[in-house]
Amino acid sequence: MDALMGFDPRRIVKFTALGALFLFLCWQHVQATRIGYQVESTRREARARRSRVADLRLRVDETLAPAALAARAHTKLGMVPASPNSLRSLSADGQADGLLPRLWARLPLVGPLRS
Amino acid sequence: MDLGLRLTVAASLSLAPLLPLGARLAFLQIVRHDNLSTRASGEFARTAQEAAPRADLLDRQGRVLARSIPSWSCFVDKAMVKDPNAFGAKLAPLLGLPESEITHKTRAAVRFAWLKRSLTQQEFSKLAEARIEGLGLVPKSERVYPNGDLARGVLGLVGSEGKGLAGLELSQNQRLSGRARRMDVIRDGQGRTIYKSVSDAGDEPQPLRLTLDRTAQFLAEEALREGGEKGQFKEGVVAIQDPRNGEILAMAAWPPNPLRSPLVQDAFEPGSTFKVVTALAAVDDRVVREGEVFSGEGGKYQLTPGVTITDHEPEGDMTLAQILERSSNIGIAKVADRVGATRFYRLARAFGFGAKTGAPLPGESAGELKPLSDLTKVGLAASSYGYGLAVSPLQMLGAYSAIANGGTLWEPKLLVDGLPPVKVRRVASERAVREVALMLEGVVDRGTASSARIPGYRAAGKTGTARKIDPLTRKYSTSAFTASFVGFLPASAPRWTILVILHEPKGAYYGGLVAAPIFAQLGSRLLALAGLPPDRPAAAALTARR
Repeated sequence: MDALMGFDPRRIVKFTALGALFLFLCWQHVQATRIGYQVESTRREARARRSRVADLRLRVDETLAPAALAARAHTKLGMVPASPNSLRSLSADGQADGLLPRLWARLPLVGPLRS
Repeated sequence: MDLGLRLTVAASLSLAPLLPLGARLAFLQIVRHDNLSTRASGEFARTAQEAAPRADLLDRQGRVLARSIPSWSCFVDKAMVKDPNAFGAKLAPLLGLPESEITHKTRAAVRFAWLKRSLTQQEFSKLAEARIEGLGLVPKSERVYPNGDLARGVLGLVGSEGKGLAGLELSQNQRLSGRARRMDVIRDGQGRTIYKSVSDAGDEPQPLRLTLDRTAQFLAEEALREGGEKGQFKEGVVAIQDPRNGEILAMAAWPPNPLRSPLVQDAFEPGSTFKVVTALAAVDDRVVREGEVFSGEGGKYQLTPGVTITDHEPEGDMTLAQILERSSNIGIAKVADRVGATRFYRLARAFGFGAKTGAPLPGESAGELKPLSDLTKVGLAASSYGYGLAVSPLQMLGAYSAIANGGTLWEPKLLVDGLPPVKVRRVASERAVREVALMLEGVVDRGTASSARIPGYRAAGKTGTARKIDPLTRKYSTSAFTASFVGFLPASAPRWTILVILHEPKGAYYGGLVAAPIFAQLGSRLLALAGLPPDRPAAAALTARR
């Protein structure tokens, strides 16, 4: 066909394919660089968040440290260490006699008193 | 000439000048590729390193004792700072440091200087946003101990480079250290990092679980701290072991020092707590008859010409059980003479005295036990009541645990490593050990350790009071003592062996007066926490047979 001005159509396809491949490689390189920036930025953000999580965990651990708990229990709640003989135990199976022990055993956050 | 040919010629002529460029490109890309590639890598490519956090140290219930958290350090590159004054003024509020200090470091002779280590996340964010030229930020990992000084003598210390310097941090350094993750990155013209690939995935170590119990450790330290802060003694040690398997539940020392673990590293003359070895040898070999009495000689006994043994109280006739209850040096020396040096020495060795226990802590002391050839009449007598030899607190704790559990010496276990506890040996017959354990109950019920009693519970143990050697005169001091108490409870089925050692107590210095009350205080707290029912019958009167 005259419109092709004597060029072989197969050659045109080849050149077009090569051009497309070249453009694809360029695009891929640009994308790789862009994602590379993103990965680095995300990595920094992840590290910052890990640091924040570690910081919060540390505060939890420090708050629950035995010395801190004992100090708060003593100063804020006026609690003192219990001697083993001051513990009064009921049966572990919940078959406690009396109204008060039965009510005590029913409290949701309090386990049965030790026997 | 057709159009196609003409276009080809025109294109060839247009592209002809590009031929030398192509040739040059080929030369650079093919012939000089390696050389140029290396240079380019050197200028743009970097290896970023992400330090692996050091493994956490946990107590037996998984509660954190030591943890690594991400942090940053910042430095100044003096060559990149144009105006040190402006640099200092800008940084001072961000770092919370005096402006003069920053300026001084920036003007120092060396190009590089650390400005601040262990930056918090907030400080780091502010500095990163400020983008100050000449300021560098380096990611680090910081070791923190959320419970403060709790168990620091055992845990130890980590240096600024992240390596263990003392305690378990040192002995388990390899196990706790991870391998850093390495990544290939390149830097663009503005210095921003572009991630390329991971060159080494690194290795993050698993937490290390210890046999220590955080609550028991706290109680032990609290029991020591009360007296230590009041200046009632110079140094003190409290340790708790589970006699059923040798697991160490607490190792406390006063004053707290992360660089030292006196329980393992120190050795001391035990005094009367060592009498149990002599008594056990006698009972095991049946060299003392049931009900047989030994004369207390009224408190003074000439062993050989020039060598006199004294008791703290003048005593009359005593059975072996009473010798322990009254802690009579004269009585036990007579028993030792009956036992003989060889048997005494062998039993002391069987208890592990004079040898390292194998505890996974650095600098363990083996103590010192006189060789058999040195156990003359005088040497044997002195050794029988704990003089002329040195033991580590951990050895003594293990020995009493062996008595508590019926005669098995366990290797002290500090790490939960999935391996079963190591049984070292049986030290004596179960019959003899049970009998001596009953005698030790008598020490608490009727003897020198009455202040170790816990109402409603059976406890057993032995007091010790030893003169210390004056480092100046190299003779026994008349004013410096080591007071101790080692015992176990509940005696019916022992769960805890507790050792208390106080060096140079002020005022009262007998182990029964100063160390035994700490045992009682700690023991009652442990019993309350465990919720163990009382094991002493209402009218308990258990007496030793001998």
